[in-house]
Amino acid sequence: MSTDIWLGWTYFILCALFALVGALATISSANPIRGAMGLLMMILSIAGLYLSLHAQFLAAIQLIVYAGAIVVLFLFVIMLLGPSAQAPSDSRARFPRAIGAGLFLLLGAGVVSWLVMLGQHISKETARLAAAGTWKPATVPSDFGGIDAFGKELFTKTLVPFELSSALLLVAVIGAIAVARSKHGDGAEKALPTAAALTEATPKEEASV
Amino acid sequence: MNLFFALSPFLTLALGALLLMVAEAAAAGNGRGEKVRPGLALGAALTCFASCAAAAGVWFYGVERIEGLDVLQPWLIIDRFTLFFAGLLALGGGLASLLAGGYLPEHQIERGEFYALLLFSTLGALILAAAGDVLTLFLGLETMSLGVYALTAFRRASPRSAEAALKYFLLGSFAAALLLFGFALLYGATGHTDLAGLGQAVKTIASGALSGQAAGPTTLGAAAGPLVLFGFILVLAGLVFKVSAVPFHMWTPDAYEGAPTPATSFMAVAVKAGAFAVLLRVLLVCFGDKQSTSWANGWPAVIAWIAVLTMTVANLVAGRQESAKRMLAYSSIAHAGYLLVGVVATSRDGTAGTSGILFYLLGYTVATIGAFGGLILAGHRGAEAVSFEDLAGLGRRHPAAALPFALFLLSLAGVPPTAGFFGKWFILKAAMEGGFSVLTVVAFLNSVLGAYYYLKVLVYLYMREPGAGAPIATPMKSGYVNVALAVSAFFVVLIGLDPSRSLSVATRAAASLFGG
Repeated sequence: MSTDIWLGWTYFILCALFALVGALATISSANPIRGAMGLLMMILSIAGLYLSLHAQFLAAIQLIVYAGAIVVLFLFVIMLLGPSAQAPSDSRARFPRAIGAGLFLLLGAGVVSWLVMLGQHISKETARLAAAGTWKPATVPSDFGGIDAFGKELFTKTLVPFELSSALLLVAVIGAIAVARSKHGDGAEKALPTAAALTEATPKEEASV
Repeated sequence: MNLFFALSPFLTLALGALLLMVAEAAAAGNGRGEKVRPGLALGAALTCFASCAAAAGVWFYGVERIEGLDVLQPWLIIDRFTLFFAGLLALGGGLASLLAGGYLPEHQIERGEFYALLLFSTLGALILAAAGDVLTLFLGLETMSLGVYALTAFRRASPRSAEAALKYFLLGSFAAALLLFGFALLYGATGHTDLAGLGQAVKTIASGALSGQAAGPTTLGAAAGPLVLFGFILVLAGLVFKVSAVPFHMWTPDAYEGAPTPATSFMAVAVKAGAFAVLLRVLLVCFGDKQSTSWANGWPAVIAWIAVLTMTVANLVAGRQESAKRMLAYSSIAHAGYLLVGVVATSRDGTAGTSGILFYLLGYTVATIGAFGGLILAGHRGAEAVSFEDLAGLGRRHPAAALPFALFLLSLAGVPPTAGFFGKWFILKAAMEGGFSVLTVVAFLNSVLGAYYYLKVLVYLYMREPGAGAPIATPMKSGYVNVALAVSAFFVVLIGLDPSRSLSVATRAAASLFGG
């Protein structure tokens, strides 16, 4: 294989590996700040993956919106909450959780090995077809992934979904306000329920289900 | 202009929701820091009914005659199937907002956002039913779901409501991720995101797999087959979660119980109907080829097992509930099972099966809204009726509140001559004629089993007296709820007495899915 293909592979593997490590850190660290940092690492690696797909604009947006705005917002909230952001360790249902994790790992391993086999099959197939001359790699237009090509696509071909997404964003905003806003003039309104209150409130009749 | 006419059911909802938000913002205070909300519920309900009327208008004008819909291709498909669902979903949304108009002020949790969220959720369900491309499908699904998550969490002070919303949100996001991953694999295998193109490509791949040749629209060759299969499994899992069928039903009882009752009724009705619309479209348009619909190699066997599990588990667990609201949640899972029997039947005779499902959904919508409405009516401020004990003796003390409740429960149980009976009849008939006799027998036995817990409510309503010291339920008074119950009861009885007219509408809608 030529050098640029090797370079591409190495770049992809590195980005993918960092994304996985970041994702694992996000869900496994008890310290929420570390979790947010793991998320940041994953977002950066995914932006790197976008770059390898010629999607420069998407990569830039990923950096600005996710890494720049959303992770910072997460950090603000974690800092505001202070020590109460630390979740108390929960030892209930350890056994079913372990079973679930084991099953998921097993399934994941199966899927990954199957995908690897599929990838080998596909590369063999394309090599065979390319040798026979019936297949050549798709060419990317020179302006692909740039902001002008992106905007043109967005406002002509995909205008309908673009307009529909405004409804999605609006409903997300209203939903967030409805959940976050406290009611005026109602003394019964309590503070945000803490994690402990939530666990206590778990319906008792679940045992009968 | 034609375009606006064809899209009027959608635009009405969006416009109405925006107007309601403005009205809420401009609502005057009463001097004590509380806002006076004159008829926001009425506005929401009228918007929904206007959208319903717009769908009917396009239907009767003849959607085939409208030109210039090409610009919507392939994003939105406006055909009679879409219009049927638009009418049905808008009806469900309108009735749910009427229930909310009575329930929210009574329990002092009324805020204007509820109605805006409800309308936008309905709009999302409409987009979902009309989606002709994976992109619009996902946008519609998320618009609907995000609204419903917020509606579930609406009772801020209640930890149970917060817990229900969090569970629903996390599991729903997980299901959406599965769905997206599935569609990504399908796109990788076929190079299409539009459902029609996807269907063509799947057909080519399936025929290639059948003859053992490496045939495919892309260079993947024979490797496309497993990719399609894996993508299909993930897509199916995501959609089955939304219709809350076993084994993806765990969120349903908690979310339904924790949400304010009007939101619960909306979830049981609109979310389920929208999910079934998209399930039918994906199965019949993308995976409607001979290979995919064969019992040995395709989806019917999988769906049949899910249907059997759903009906049996839900009916068995529903009978053991102590809370009537939770029982209704399990009953809605069981109804998803009956509807899935209809989905299996579509693999043999698409039009008969689909029209059965559409008819069933119509009857199910009005009866479910009515049943939740009856539950709402039975309680009052500070004493919401939730458990069976709360309903004890209501039929003797307040016959006017108990009678419609009983009617809707009988319809859900499938007792003739109500809408529910004919819904079950048409679905079982389609399944029987499709040759799925074992499945038909299981569905029939299950509907007998299901009658047990509906009758249990009737026993409590009419043959029990509240125990000594137990709180005695006094029904609330609300014009909104009464109107919702009256409209639902009208439809339940009308469809039950004259099923042929609704069936012919459902059949025309179903036929349009197959190009008829």
